[in-house]
Amino acid sequence: MAETTAAMFGGHKTNGLVLVVDDEPDVRKVVRMTLEKTGYDVIEAEDGEKAIEAIHQGENPLMLDVIITDIRMPKINGVEAINYFQQQWPRVPLIVLTGFPDMEMATGFLNKGIVDYLVKPVEKEKLIKSVATAMEKRDLNRL
Amino acid sequence: MSTVEPPITIAILGAGKGGTAMLESFLNLPHIRLLGIADTNPHALGFQLARLHNIPTVSHPLKLIQEDKVNLIIDVTGDPILPSYITEHKHSGAEVLGGTAAKVLSELIRHQTFIQAQLFQSEKLASMGTFASGIAHDINNPLYVILAMAEEIQEETNLDRIRLHAASIHEAAQRIQAISRNITDYVRSSSHQELERIDLHARLDEALSISRFATKFREITVQKHYQNGLSVQAKPEEMLQVFINLITNAIHAMEEKGSLTITTSHSNGTVQIAISDTGCGISPEHLQKIFNPFFSTKPKGQGTGLGLYNVKTIVKKYHGDLQVESEQGKGTTFRLSFPAIPPVDDQVFDGQP
Repeated sequence: MAETTAAMFGGHKTNGLVLVVDDEPDVRKVVRMTLEKTGYDVIEAEDGEKAIEAIHQGENPLMLDVIITDIRMPKINGVEAINYFQQQWPRVPLIVLTGFPDMEMATGFLNKGIVDYLVKPVEKEKLIKSVATAMEKRDLNRL
Repeated sequence: MSTVEPPITIAILGAGKGGTAMLESFLNLPHIRLLGIADTNPHALGFQLARLHNIPTVSHPLKLIQEDKVNLIIDVTGDPILPSYITEHKHSGAEVLGGTAAKVLSELIRHQTFIQAQLFQSEKLASMGTFASGIAHDINNPLYVILAMAEEIQEETNLDRIRLHAASIHEAAQRIQAISRNITDYVRSSSHQELERIDLHARLDEALSISRFATKFREITVQKHYQNGLSVQAKPEEMLQVFINLITNAIHAMEEKGSLTITTSHSNGTVQIAISDTGCGISPEHLQKIFNPFFSTKPKGQGTGLGLYNVKTIVKKYHGDLQVESEQGKGTTFRLSFPAIPPVDDQVFDGQP
């Protein structure tokens, strides 16, 4: 399953590439630490626009496997953020990681096809499990 | 536009509960002019309110009902002799509303007051919800950093990295401390229910820091032009509610970029506060409706439409005034004014020549 991604990174073995979008640098750092230990590659961005820049900075756009995003960000928020990512990268599974424990919003997002709605502070195991589920979904999306 | 009709001139007989509720209600109606209120009891409930609004108060109804300008006499006294007395002495052009009809009107007004109080309460609850989720978000972010970094330190052996993680934990804990301090200040101020002398600038600053939880300031700069030593007499919680509402509206209008200016001044026995933003402005057709209950331009579920309505209600309660100027694309200014109260002592101009 990891062949395509591994090939992209010049043979370097990885479980997949995760984009972490959050306006707080320390939050991005914490997510990165957790995921890198589990064998994922991580790129960070503070908002959706920066995410696109990060993806396109090389000669070829990076192949994203999973996106983890906060939903309270500058300029766009909530549903808009989800729509934005789903339009940009329709096949890439989304995980919402937010400080808002909002059941109604969570249900709404899950109905829109996001993989998980995680509330900060999220336990390490829960985050890792959620990313693993997203990776499986990504494989299905690519079939 | 319809032609301007002359106001309806009303005399109220009876300044007890019914008369007072009526008086209060009529004060808010632009097409009604109150000629006066009568009651044999000089300490009647409604007299105080009437005097505050310069409505004449009299102990005997005769002069009021004989007045040639009076269009309508409302009798809520319940006095059995009064109806025939009114018929006999009133100005010939005046209509009379008394007995059961006056009672029904009185009931309607009381019901309206009750609904108003409920609206007020529901906005308070709704804004409390926004406030609470804003706080939750602001606490959960640093909390996540603290928990994850602490876990990391337990497994980390590199001293430099441990120091870096500890610095992140320290910074995150400080942010939570600041939030907690602000909340306790807010709670302390809302438990006071008494009228008290309010330091305007302390309340404005407090409202600013609370508004930071509910909104995103981002690239918004705040300019304060405060004139020293201004106070008003009010319940601190309500004054705070007014400021928070106006400030968060201003911030929302700017969409994270612009300038918020708060100016205070003092003249002719009133204290003025202007809150200006450089945001999107309000269209002329919306401008007429912004103080109406349930009017909101925010998406469903995000605004109660009661914020400015309650601001207006509170301002009125303290005999203040609220004006708005707005230009689309340029910004909006809300001007508040309240009766000034004299400073505690004359040494308020500390540091000033």
